[in-house]
Amino acid sequence: MPVEVSRRSFLKLAAASGAAAAVPGCKPAARHLIPYVIPDDDVIPGTPAFFASSCNECAAGCGVVARVREGRVIKLEGNPVDPISQGASCARGQAALQGLYNPDRLQRPHRRGADGLINPIPWDAAMGQINKALREAAAGSDQIAFIGPPMGPAHEWMVEQWIGALNSRMRVAYAPLDGAQQRAAMQLCFGREFVPAYHIDRAEVLLSLRADFLETWGSPVELARQYAVFHTPVNPGANAKFGLAYYVGPRMSITAAKCDYFLPCHPAYEAAVGLAILRVILDKGLAHPAPGLDMQALRNLVAPFDPAAVATKAGIRAETIEKMAQQFGQADGAVALAGSDDEAAHVAAWLLNAATGNLGKTVDLYEPETPAGAPAQNLDVAVQAMHDGKIKVALIANTNPQFSASPQVHFGEALRKVPLVVWCGNVPDETAQLAHLLLPVNHWVEDWGDTCARPGVYGLRQPTMTRVVYSKPLGDILIETARAAAPKASALPFENTQDAVRAFWQQRFKNHVGAEGFDAFWDQALREGGYFTNVKPAAVKLQPAFSQSAIKLPEDLEGAELILNAFPHPYLYDGSGADKPWLQEIAEPVSQIVWDSWAEVHPDTAKRLNVNKNDLIQLTSPLGTIEVPVHITTGVHPAAIAVPIGQGHTSYGRYARNRGANPWAVLPPGRLTIAIKYNRGVGQRELVSPVYTGDMYNRPIVETMTLAEFQRGEKPQPWEEPYPSPSELYQPVVYPKHEWGMTIDLNACTGCGACIAACYAENNVPFVGKEEVRRGHIMQWIRLERYLPETADSPTLLTMPMLCQQCSHAPCEPVCPVFAAVHSNEGLNLQVYNRCIGTRYCENNCPYKVRHFNWFKPAWPKPLNLQLNPDVTVRGAGVMEKCTFCVQRIRFGEIQALTENRNVRDGEIVPACAEACPSRAITFGDMKDPDSAMMKRRREHEIRVYKALEPLNTLPAITYLRQVYRPRGEV
Amino acid sequence: MKYGAIGVAVLILIGGISMALLSQRPWLARSDVVQPIPFSHRIHAGIRHIPCQYCHEYARRSENSGVPPIERCVGCHASLAQQFALHPVDKPWIDHEQAAFDVRWNRVYTLPDFVRFYHSPHIHAGIACQRCHGPVETMDRVTPVYEINMGFCLNCHTQRHVSIECSTCHY
Repeated sequence: MPVEVSRRSFLKLAAASGAAAAVPGCKPAARHLIPYVIPDDDVIPGTPAFFASSCNECAAGCGVVARVREGRVIKLEGNPVDPISQGASCARGQAALQGLYNPDRLQRPHRRGADGLINPIPWDAAMGQINKALREAAAGSDQIAFIGPPMGPAHEWMVEQWIGALNSRMRVAYAPLDGAQQRAAMQLCFGREFVPAYHIDRAEVLLSLRADFLETWGSPVELARQYAVFHTPVNPGANAKFGLAYYVGPRMSITAAKCDYFLPCHPAYEAAVGLAILRVILDKGLAHPAPGLDMQALRNLVAPFDPAAVATKAGIRAETIEKMAQQFGQADGAVALAGSDDEAAHVAAWLLNAATGNLGKTVDLYEPETPAGAPAQNLDVAVQAMHDGKIKVALIANTNPQFSASPQVHFGEALRKVPLVVWCGNVPDETAQLAHLLLPVNHWVEDWGDTCARPGVYGLRQPTMTRVVYSKPLGDILIETARAAAPKASALPFENTQDAVRAFWQQRFKNHVGAEGFDAFWDQALREGGYFTNVKPAAVKLQPAFSQSAIKLPEDLEGAELILNAFPHPYLYDGSGADKPWLQEIAEPVSQIVWDSWAEVHPDTAKRLNVNKNDLIQLTSPLGTIEVPVHITTGVHPAAIAVPIGQGHTSYGRYARNRGANPWAVLPPGRLTIAIKYNRGVGQRELVSPVYTGDMYNRPIVETMTLAEFQRGEKPQPWEEPYPSPSELYQPVVYPKHEWGMTIDLNACTGCGACIAACYAENNVPFVGKEEVRRGHIMQWIRLERYLPETADSPTLLTMPMLCQQCSHAPCEPVCPVFAAVHSNEGLNLQVYNRCIGTRYCENNCPYKVRHFNWFKPAWPKPLNLQLNPDVTVRGAGVMEKCTFCVQRIRFGEIQALTENRNVRDGEIVPACAEACPSRAITFGDMKDPDSAMMKRRREHEIRVYKALEPLNTLPAITYLRQVYRPRGEV
Repeated sequence: MKYGAIGVAVLILIGGISMALLSQRPWLARSDVVQPIPFSHRIHAGIRHIPCQYCHEYARRSENSGVPPIERCVGCHASLAQQFALHPVDKPWIDHEQAAFDVRWNRVYTLPDFVRFYHSPHIHAGIACQRCHGPVETMDRVTPVYEINMGFCLNCHTQRHVSIECSTCHY
């Protein structure tokens, strides 16, 4: 007699037999409940608390809000009150948490023994040794050096007090990408330095001389927001307003690709192009007479830069230079930005802004507010003193000169002559390898401090959680050593860093405090993340003193056969991001390469050098040699080889060590370009990328329309698939209450990758490493589709954030044998992890390829696991996963509304990607609410609305707004 | 061949049934939990009529209901001990020599990682605690009354016409 078991029961029993112990979540949960002794009124277990602070990942000083669950920061978000970030963030800011919870952070103080190895010692012993050495060194003058990056005003003041009390003047400010050329150019043009604030959104024309303002230059979050306004077309019709952007530089960065025209330029002649444009502006009488502007002096200055001559050298057509000048000069608001390592390019940009009357319009300059005192020294001075044996104690905090200083500086050699080198930081880096004492200091998330992005924007930093490792705040180290070792005991008379920062603010803002006194002012600043006020920009005049001799082109590059153009990696930046696996695994937006360094070579150059893809090449400058694999791309000038900065660490934790090459090792101080010789290396190294192609294979996934079409108001016809038009087999799905949807504006999207990092953080998405990315196992729920159209009449590069489209007719749903992929009555495609048995049919059937399968049990080495979001299931091996529209946030919003007896408000529920997006390209909302911001955006941009792969009739919940572009052929 | 296939199916079946029966099912509420302190819900909630949320104060506003802080216990047992003739719990509750008091209650109710349960909407919907936790006010030692599995949740959700979408609890 056959056994009669229904298919469903069979599956049930079979699953129970095999999976009882293997399914994630079936492990015994935490078995203890540990109560508070005295509860904190602000902490509700199970509900997040938010603390405002200020980011320290770059110099932009964005305000952030830390989401804290049960005493652990699980996510950083932008601070909506802060005028710089306005609630958005960037990939590097998001990934700060992986610095905080980095498994390779120094756990406790260490001392280097005679054998060269480091051994843990107690804090008392470490501090005792430092105090003794400082006491002895303070007897003489200038025997103590403090080397650190430019810090917030409070910390700068503390260091100044500390170093003064110890009878020294060796405060060395060192950051590898510190904008020295920008400052020098201002010195030249205006006679002194100012703090610039750009307003791209007030401009009609933008000219970037190698300024990657959407990635690493200036204040990327703020500038991306402005650029999105500048570069989103409004009012279809003849009067459509649509900013025009030119990028002149040797390499197509994502910023260059997002400008209308990327003009590949020889690295030596960016300044020349800028000055040639200025000459045309002056010749055509387009300059605005302004106070202090001596037209004749300007004319003399730019006389040598004949457009035709410059055009030949730079590789840009002379007509293009004329045209740029015409447009720049006639625009109602134009802005020139320079990010070159060549000071002359910065001078050119300032002169362009000044001559066209845009100072005070598209760029404001503020008087810098530096606390009075001796200016910081630069690294050379300290290196000389160390070399001469004058420095007895060097304290190096949160900076890594051994990695990023040019070999010409001989930093390491000089440091070896210092009797006591104290390193303070998080993950021990190359500089730590030279230190005698290694002290773990609090990460900025755990520390007090402040920032000053520009006058009027004073960010405050507060600890948002208790420390992760046995560390001390840097300020506490300064205070304790000043108390114990300084001859003048009253230098830093504070208990701890908190006291010092508070006292500094009390002094600094004594004129801003209202009637309620400083306590109320301080509390408000802590709550809001700082003190934000309006400061009038300075009235700036060009110095008439600059003469022609001031403008020198980098002659070492002229005539060079090959030029190395090192550029800061958008995520790894100057190298400080390399210890964070998220930043390693988010592909560089243009090359789409992960976990490695590469050399971008133009196809013509590759042919000339006889190298192929992935071949290792050795690039040799007089200072050294680096070996990198070749990546062939047309996005680089034929004379240049572009290599990203950031990799090539020999230390700095497991994720950074022995990966790629370090271009700082072949560069002269302060420069990013140098003439190089080329040698063929031995063998190949495969460059790994999560994308396989830049071609859309005739299916316009990213749809575009030209500006002319937009002006004519023609809505493009949807692309037709050669299938019969779909007939509906099923009843339409009914959504009783909500139908969640998303609108993504492809004109606003800058391809910065903040959404990807935010998604990693919010949804416990695992990182997999280079080898698994190579095997196609990358887990990112949202990715940046990147296409490189090759016709002249298409945009340079197309990007599109691709995530689960939450289709109404989802191809993934009917193929799941166990109903793990199901449709919700709120328009979501759900993935029920506990049902999933891993057939991967859904992944195969998904036309958008947004589903990811867990081939392995994901791993977060301790304490990286502390960052995991407790509201989201950690998926185990064998389970399919995909974007959920941050369903945990939807549920949280719905529960919040339910308990307050109201409906969910528009804008209350924001997925992590939309929240992070600096350019506000992503809007989320309810499609059943016609007044939601998301639906309004669709209506306002009706002509640009399209759905990805619309003819497949999947009815996605995501609507994209077509990219409007200017055909490349017009330049 | 045909019988061979049936034989394999039967073996898998037997294996499955025995695994299901023999496995500890660690996600279920446990009846064998002994607490470090002989705390009686019968006396507190039953005889003294202390409302559940006086101690489990987060239930109405959070995911977790929360266990009472030591302060809450001492609040009654120290200051009101005389007035209400309470058992003065003097050891080690108000022993100031002792370091921060460390009580580790043992969990009775747990849920698997892939289930999200929020107390707050249930409290706001007027669901009595006893609906899931049983008559706790009659128990000296809390033991589960209902097997809290998906069927248990779904029954109630279906009866009350509230969402039975997967994403209500699984994400």
